[in-house]
Amino acid sequence: MSNINQSEFTSTHQHSNKEFELLSKALDASISGVILTDNLQPDNPIVYCNAAFERMTGYSRPEIIGHNCRFLQRDDRNQEMRFILKEAIRNGQDCCVEIRNYRKNGELFWNELYMSAIKDENGVITHFVGVQNDVTRRKKAEQELKMQQDVMEKRIEERTQILKDSEDYLSSIIQTVRESLIVLDPKFNVLSTNDHFLRTFKVNMEDTVGKHLYELGNGQWNIPKLKELLVSILPTNNPVENFEVEHDFPYIGRKLMLLNAHRIELQGHYKDRILLAIEDITDRREIERRKDDFLSIASHELKTPLTTIKGYVQVLERLVPENASDKYKSVMTKTANHIDRLNNLIAELLDVSKIQTGNIEVHKSNFNFDKMVAETVEAMELASVGPKIVIRGSIGMDYYGDESHIVQVVTNLLSNAIKYAPDSREIVIHLSLVSDYIKVSVMDAGMGISYEDQKRIFERFFRVGEIQQRYPGMGIGLYLCDQIVKNHGGTLWVDSEKGKGSTFSFTLPLNKEGNDE
Amino acid sequence: MTNKTILVCDDNEGILDMLGLILEDAGFDVIPEQNSLNIYNLIEKKQPDLVLLDLWMPVLSGDQVLKVLRQNTRTKGLPVIVISASTDGSKIAQDAGATAFIAKPFDVDDLVSKIQTHLS
Repeated sequence: MSNINQSEFTSTHQHSNKEFELLSKALDASISGVILTDNLQPDNPIVYCNAAFERMTGYSRPEIIGHNCRFLQRDDRNQEMRFILKEAIRNGQDCCVEIRNYRKNGELFWNELYMSAIKDENGVITHFVGVQNDVTRRKKAEQELKMQQDVMEKRIEERTQILKDSEDYLSSIIQTVRESLIVLDPKFNVLSTNDHFLRTFKVNMEDTVGKHLYELGNGQWNIPKLKELLVSILPTNNPVENFEVEHDFPYIGRKLMLLNAHRIELQGHYKDRILLAIEDITDRREIERRKDDFLSIASHELKTPLTTIKGYVQVLERLVPENASDKYKSVMTKTANHIDRLNNLIAELLDVSKIQTGNIEVHKSNFNFDKMVAETVEAMELASVGPKIVIRGSIGMDYYGDESHIVQVVTNLLSNAIKYAPDSREIVIHLSLVSDYIKVSVMDAGMGISYEDQKRIFERFFRVGEIQQRYPGMGIGLYLCDQIVKNHGGTLWVDSEKGKGSTFSFTLPLNKEGNDE
Repeated sequence: MTNKTILVCDDNEGILDMLGLILEDAGFDVIPEQNSLNIYNLIEKKQPDLVLLDLWMPVLSGDQVLKVLRQNTRTKGLPVIVISASTDGSKIAQDAGATAFIAKPFDVDDLVSKIQTHLS
């Protein structure tokens, strides 16, 4: 029996050995590190490790067997995963953790550890099996990915903030503008408005945004002229500026609106959106009208007594006795001249107002330019005992323009020459044809104008400081001349040097002759 | 030969006085009138040869007066010269059917010669 047993034992033993050897080899062939710990011995020592475990940790078998696994953690003991592992060991549960381990050379590696308890037939945990994989590269990739994600997220956050700031900035500008702004989609639905729009038209955001423009506020924007602008003009003429619309709005009454419209031509999300800027110019127009009315009335009221004075002075002139003194006669003439001057000032004041608002009426006709100049000069010489006015050159043809306006320009330039060059013996007015332009120059040998002042003398109400002391005036004569010449398509300028006289010249284009624009 | 009669209507007394003096000096009989509402009656009664008419007058303006005169067959051909200090006076006068227009302030000789032109 014992023999048999011995033999049986030997055979079984040999068989088991063989099997164990095979298993060992199989485990050594694995790329996962495998260890076995003996739970029945103190501190759960490692009792088995395969070759992969040696390769992974850099330790050799003699350095491994008998140690607790924790030697792989060195002093990195406070890892959260370690506590999970510890808890699983205590409860005899399986667990899988990723834990930081250190090779013999001190190099960190991430160990994906799968741990499982082995129990005997009585349920006592005898061993733990640990299967380990070096997941350092995966972990590194994960970490890098996460870092990259964090960086991206941070960048997106920053960009979003910048966009938001920029949006807030733009929005604060839009809300501050004292002009109503409205954005429409290509079908004229309202996408947004600014506060000024809501305040001006006494509407709220809810009743406006998302609605069709023509359906807003009981159809108050269903205006034929606005439709014309949006449907016919804007598509062909982008942008549309200063388009006037007068309309009766239900809540705010009759208003004159100035519209600026712009269709976005950029490709993409905003394409074909329409920006509409609406300026209420009702009050401004009304003020302009009142100013014009005021000036008309003022000029009419000033001219009325002047008419009486002028009439009586003319009667007086006739009553001058034959033997009256030269002094008497001279006083009469001067009085008459100053009445005319006052009348001209009143007329100029009214003209300035009209030119500014674009209301001046231009009556063009053909007239003989040379004759016009000759007559103007004659009238000037009759009116004042000043320097002699000499006409040089000629035009020799008719000009098509507003004769009374051109007379005004010539008169003004001549009277300036007389006024500011009182000691001159003669003033020259030179007429010439230059290319297809008429050129008129008035030359005096007066005080001249400094370069700085030359730039400003055509401005309205500008007076050269020192001049104002000696020759008071309103500073509108040259402004008016400039405007009149511009209205005829020409230019007016001055060549002068202080103390060396001035030459005022203007040109008028001939090509518009005989045809009204 | 009797003097020609001119009806002068202007709400401003100063102008009316001055015109009276000038026109009488020039040999006309003058009927001065400050209130434009009286014009129709005066024309009926006095049969003037010519009317000098201001534009801006209270209650009834010169162009309104003129339009009525032009609609009436008996006054349709009556010479009416409008005198005004208004800048757009010339156009208003022409539209209302004035025979001529003279801007205030005017030259006395121009006024007299214009009157004579339209009387002959």
